[in-house]
This record gives sequence, C-alpha cells and structure tokens, in this order.
Amino acid sequence: MLVDEQTIEKVLTAALERGGRFADFYAERRQTNSLSLEDGKVEKSSSGLDAGASIRVIQGRSISFVSTDALDERSLIAAARLAGESVRGDGATVIPLTAASGGSVHQVKIPPAAVATGGKAGLLKEADAAARAEGADVVQASVGFSDETSQIVIANSEGTLAVEERTRVRLIARVVAARDGMMQTGYDSIGAHRGMELFASGDPAALGKIAAAKAITMLDSRPSPSGKMTVVMHRGFGGVLFHEASGHGLEADAVEKGASVFAGRMGEKVASEKVTLIDDGSIPNEWGSNAFDDEGVPTGRTVLIEKGILKGLMYDRLRALNAGVGSTGNGRRQSFRHPPIPRMTNTLILAGTATPEEIIRSTEKGFYAKTLSGGQVEPATGDFVFGVSEGYLIENGEVAYPLRGATLIGNGLTALNNVDMVADDFEMNIGVCGKDGQGVPVGSGQPTLRILNMTVGGTEV
Amino acid sequence: MLDIAKKAMAAAAATGVDQAEAFAMQTRSMRIKVYRQEVEELVSSTGSGVGVRVFKGAAVGYAYTSDLSGDGLKAAARAAEATMAVTAPDEFAGLPQPAKEFPELDLYSGKLRETPVSDKIAFAAMLEQTALERDSRISQVEAATYAEGEGVVAIANSLGFERQFRESTCYAFLQAIAEQDGHMQTGISFTTGRELEQLAGAVTGQEAADRAVSLLGARQCPTMSCPVVMDPFVTASVIGVIGAALTGEAVQKQRSMFAGKDGAPVASPGVNLIDDGLHPEGLATAPFDGEGVPTQRTALVKDGILQGFLYDTYSGRKEGKASTGNGSRGSYRSQPHVAATNLRLLPGTASQAEILGEVEEGFFVMDVAGIHSGVNTISGDFSVGATGRLIRNGELAEPVREVTIAGNLLKMLESVKTVGNDNRWVPFGGSIHAPSLLLAEMTVSGK
Repeated sequence: MLVDEQTIEKVLTAALERGGRFADFYAERRQTNSLSLEDGKVEKSSSGLDAGASIRVIQGRSISFVSTDALDERSLIAAARLAGESVRGDGATVIPLTAASGGSVHQVKIPPAAVATGGKAGLLKEADAAARAEGADVVQASVGFSDETSQIVIANSEGTLAVEERTRVRLIARVVAARDGMMQTGYDSIGAHRGMELFASGDPAALGKIAAAKAITMLDSRPSPSGKMTVVMHRGFGGVLFHEASGHGLEADAVEKGASVFAGRMGEKVASEKVTLIDDGSIPNEWGSNAFDDEGVPTGRTVLIEKGILKGLMYDRLRALNAGVGSTGNGRRQSFRHPPIPRMTNTLILAGTATPEEIIRSTEKGFYAKTLSGGQVEPATGDFVFGVSEGYLIENGEVAYPLRGATLIGNGLTALNNVDMVADDFEMNIGVCGKDGQGVPVGSGQPTLRILNMTVGGTEV
Repeated sequence: MLDIAKKAMAAAAATGVDQAEAFAMQTRSMRIKVYRQEVEELVSSTGSGVGVRVFKGAAVGYAYTSDLSGDGLKAAARAAEATMAVTAPDEFAGLPQPAKEFPELDLYSGKLRETPVSDKIAFAAMLEQTALERDSRISQVEAATYAEGEGVVAIANSLGFERQFRESTCYAFLQAIAEQDGHMQTGISFTTGRELEQLAGAVTGQEAADRAVSLLGARQCPTMSCPVVMDPFVTASVIGVIGAALTGEAVQKQRSMFAGKDGAPVASPGVNLIDDGLHPEGLATAPFDGEGVPTQRTALVKDGILQGFLYDTYSGRKEGKASTGNGSRGSYRSQPHVAATNLRLLPGTASQAEILGEVEEGFFVMDVAGIHSGVNTISGDFSVGATGRLIRNGELAEPVREVTIAGNLLKMLESVKTVGNDNRWVPFGGSIHAPSLLLAEMTVSGK
C-alpha cells in the first residue's frame, strides 16, 4: 500500500486536532504512457509518474483541503495540520480503519506495462493504415494512444479504508479528408477501465476506418439550415447531450444551491415518460467506472429520472452530509490535487421499444444528428449547446444528405419533455467531462431517439 | 529548482543521448470560495516536478516525474531514453541554441504570500456582497472565488542553457444569478493581477450582477441576418480560436484556415493582432518560453494583412525560421508545443456606446457557448450558442437567449467594421486582451 494504515490514522487525527466533523485522506500514484502519430509517423512518446496525497477537513458546510506531492509521514502530518488550522470546535474522533467492501470489479487481463512501447505504437499504425485505406480523399490522420495505471488509497475519520488499482486505456483517431477545396474531419475513440485486451479484436483498424468514413461522408455535405426542427439523435454519441442537458443539473452541488432547473422538483414529472435516465459507475470495465468513488464509497446505479419522474440526484459525501442522505458514490476528482465534487460516472438513457428505422421512417422532415462534437450547459438555466460534426437531413422518412456546420441549442427540461420516440439500440460512448477545472473520465450512453421542436443553428437562413 | 533541473539534465545526458533538457517547476497555489459570506472551500496545494526531453539520432523522447529524489530523476532519465524506441527520426528535432539576452520582467510580488489569508477571504466575500447589493433581483452568487499561484520555472539543457524565473499571479471570479418570475440568468466577471492590491474590487461584483440582470426575461428572437456587436468577453473567445490557427504547426499540418495567406489581406484594415509575450499585465508573460527561447512581441495581423505565424524551435526549423518564443508548456508533464502567449487585438478609437450607436437593428452578443465544439478550425466555419441583447436604433433592447450565431471566421475578420477602445484582459482560453467589435453581418438563428 502507498501509505500504511498507522500513518493514515495519525494523519487523520492530526487533521481533526482543532475540530471538524469529518476528515479524509486520498493518496495516489499514477503512471501514464502516451503516444501520438501524425503524417504516418510516431511523433511523440511520453511516460510519466505523479504521486501525492491530500487531506480534507469538513466543518459545517465548508471544507479545508491541502495537497502535497510528498508521501512521507512528516509531510503528510504537516499537510493535515495545515488543513485543520482554521477549524475550531469539537473534533470528530477517528474510528480505526477497516477495509471497505462492496466495490465493483473491473478486471484487467493485460496490464499496459506488460506491452512494450513498440506494441502500443503498432496500434497507432494499424489505425492510421486503416484510415488511409479508405481512399485518396484522406489527407491526414492523427492517432493518439494513452494508458494510465493508478494505485489509490482512500481513508476517512469514519473508519473507511478503500484501496483500488485503476487501469485505463484509450485510442483516438482524427481523420481529415479533402476534395475540391473542401476539408472535413472525422473523429472516433475507444477506451475502457481495462487493460490492453481492449485492442485484441481488430479495434484499432475499425477506429481508423470509422473516423475516415465520417470525414469522407462530410465532403458531400451541404450547409445546414437553421430553425426549429425535429431532431433524431443517433445512438451512442447523443448520450453526451443528456449528460450536459440534464446530468449536470442533477449533481447535488448545483441542486443544493438552487442553481439547477431540477431544484425542488423531486418526484415531479420533468421529462417525457419515454425517458429513464440513470448513472452507473459500477458497470464492469466501462470507461467511467471505478470500484469506489474518490471518497471510498462503492460505486453503484442511481436512478435519476424514471419514466419522466425525477427520482434521484448524484451525491458526494459533503452534499450528502448537508442533505442528510447517503452518498451515491459520485464524489470524484481529477487527481490528489483536486477536492472531490459530485460528478457523473456513466450516464445512460435506457433503451425503448421502437427501432431506429421506425423513428427515421416516421419523421417527415428533420435533422439526424449522428456524431456530436461536444457541448456545454449552464446548469442554472438548463440552456445547452452542441456542435454536430456529422449530421443529415431527413426528408419524407429517409436520410437525404449530410449537413455541415450545425449546432443544436436548447433547454434541458424542454428537450427531456420533447422526447417522443426511443429505440432499442443502446450504445455507450466515452469522453472526458470538465467541471470546476477538473477533468474526469465519463461514459454516456443512449439509444437512437427523437426530440421534437429543437433549434438547429446553421449557416443558411 | 535550477539545481533539480541541472541534476535531471545530467542524468539524462548520462544515458548516452545526443542532447538533453530538463524543465523543472515548483508551484504553490491557493483557492478560496465564499458562499453566503462563509468560506465554502479553502484549497491549498504545493507541488513540483521535472520533465526530461532527450534527442538521439534525430528521435525524441520524453518522461516526467514528481519524484525529485536522485533515484527518481535517474528513473525519469531512463524512461525518457526508452520512449525514443518508437519515435520516428526527424531532422528538424533538437534543442535551441541558448540566447544571450533575455527580457527583464517584473513578474513576482512577494506581497502575495505575505498578505494574510483573512484578507483574501474578505476580498471574495466583498465580491459576493457587492453583487448581492447591486440589484434586488440577484438571488445568489455562485462561486465567489479568489485564487492565487506562484511558481518557479527552471530549464537546463546540454547546450549550456541554465536559467530560472519566478512569478506570481492572482485572480478573482464570480457568477451572479438573477431571478425574476421563476426564471434565472447568470452573469460573470473577473479581475487579474500579481498581488491582491492589483485586483479590481467592487466593480467586479457589480459587473457580474449587471450582466445577469440585463438578461432577465431573455427569449429567443426570430432568425435573421444582421450586424453583430461582440463585447470584449466574446471577442476574446473568438480571438483565442483564431490564435490557435495562427501557429506554424497548424499551417504545416494543414489544420489552419490561414495556410498560404501569409502577406495577404485576411481582415479589414482596422484589425491589428499581436502575440505579446512581454506585456506586464499579461498572465502568460515570461522571460523565456518552455524551451528557453526568449519571448518577444510578434505581429500576426497588421492593418488587416497577415504578417506571419508563431513558431517553437521545431516548427520554425521546418521552414528555416527562428522560434518566436512560443514553445509553450502548461506544466512539467507536457512537451513543448506551439501556442500563443498573450494575444492582443489592438484597440481602435470607438467606445462601446459609439459602436452600438452605429447599428440600427442588430444583435449585441454577451456570451457564446460551445466555441470549442462549434468551430471548424480548418475551414473557419462556425456556429455557436449565444446570449445577449437586441440592438434597436443604436440602443440596447430586449434580452435574447437560446439562439446561435453562425458564419465563417475568415469572412468575419473581413467584415469587422469598427474596433472598440474598451480592451480588457480575459483569462479564459488563454490570456487575451480584446475590445468590442462591430461586424457587418452574421446569421442569428432563433425561432
């Protein structure tokens, strides 16, 4: 273990010397490797090590947090005293540590360290070759690989001790295609909380091929029209829309302050009855999964919206303490340098009963959003915006032609209420979510579904 | 830190490489958040690390570590050497020759550390209070934040470069929430400096409140093509994206809308854009960049004509050009890459009121969302979410939300009619000094 139990108990005791209702400790040693390829050549290769710890003291509703990159007992106790410095009043007693149980299992068969750098470079070349094989229109491919292995120790004054090793691997491809002065890009990525076995089944080639096909398709695109349209969200990528449009507003810190459109609406209808939204950080090997959250709480499945009714929120320990409920295992942080806050893990819209073909066939005129390029939301108002990197016009129940330069804009509550068809073709997607300057791996998933009356911003009036 | 850099460099050189470089960094930071006049969060952090870059037979390798012990540095040196096994040889790779002269800059204030924490808490509390008192419709302030950081950056390389510098920065930020008839709007403001005394106090809180209140009752407007006025926050977002396309690397990799336009008109004659690594108020100012090249002032667009691009050592060598001191490095974890320092769109002569006065019917943009997902940096096509006010007969009219503005960045630069004189520093998405802008026409998509 990175830091032994005796030291941790001393550190927690030092943190609560002057008072405080709760103290916790988080230590981490993270090894990373990354490689990037462009112009058909491996241009960058890097390997890194970061280690350190942080101590947090909670008093009332406020936190004091100190991080350090030293892991020896003296430095840790000094950091703990600094964290407890401004705290006054009765301190909680540190309960002897007991190893936590109940965390989910994310098996790693081939640790990244077991594969030589040359083997990892091979993945990049495979993806690059597959992208370039898609035709002469492909003018550039950039492929990036990264792996990350962390040893984590989490402990708190209530006696929790959670130890976890987390391994993540990811491969991304961005392909540029050009024809007659027009240039378009296509993007795809795969990643998981697992080892190098993720790439065993020809995935790098498929990744390059998919990214290239997207770029080539968009060469035939026409400028997107603007205005209110029926929008069909393709499975997978569209999940990020619900991550932004509803997920952030369901994180307990936003709700606690009333800075969310969902504040005070528990048990009310907030979405169409076709919508069931859950967050699940325990799905085996999923990109946003961990055994425990970053506060030592086992991850699990939280129903947020069930058939349109608001059922739950995502809590970390602090917001759960404030609300007098239990943490849902959503306390996450980017690293030992960052305090935990409520965050999504894998956020999913559950599958419905329609087929994707039915949804398109029953749409007379609409916008088919196949790949989103990212977006953002203002949780207080619920207003969101998304770029569409691969979109199509639907005419008379058929996909007509690709559209470029479109942005989807709307309001979370309105969009949730306007979902009128949900298909049975659920798929997950991976990403990195940013909040308060902290990035954490998140998954989002969704079946193909239809949203009525959404604003599409394009370049054609 | 320079000692650590020298030791790491020596350890790397000893692995038998042709060239070695170590970039060491030590930082101390603090962040205070106040909510309802109580400290919600006090976060302190100290950290240090070193990044080792090695070159051998034109291949490059990199490793970093936060373990600064002798063994830790040796392990990083070996790891850097090992990563070279897969990188392709590249004749342009290598270290810059050490320069002889460096700019003298005053980037550090010892006062920042000496100022008691209680004064910094009081500052964040004051920001919250001034926003709340500004207007009865301000229901709360989320994240009244004070943050500071200081650090030492040291670089040593095997060509004889050995230097370090120290800097301090601080900023304060808040988001005010205005509420009326159950609807909410938000407004932000911020202020930056190198010590607490340099931060703008009450006006920052008031501005956040005013921005939130001015958007109350916002609705979608009809789709239209009209003149658009961008406020400095919005101009800064756009300039940040344009700056990223003005690097030699973006051009060489055919990722830039400005490729092949060197020396050609790319903007209306009123547009003057520079990368200023020396400006005393710019938070990206430094005596040398992430590979030890002195920083400088580089003209990018002069009177609407594209003057050139930004380079680090590698991308410069590819074109037989010198580095412009833009080998940027966020931390010891990353290898140098080309990026702007402080981008400045130089001020014109018109005030914001005069600019608005030029518009009969148009849209005043106060905030854009999705700038990173909504811009195609190759073609320049963009479509982003926008919030703001309609302009009618030269005056601000109804607030607007849930619309997009769309167009092409190159055409947008050509359509700049007036450049404002109201420049301010915006610390998001880079360090950018930007004014209000009047654009002849853009597509606003609403209902």
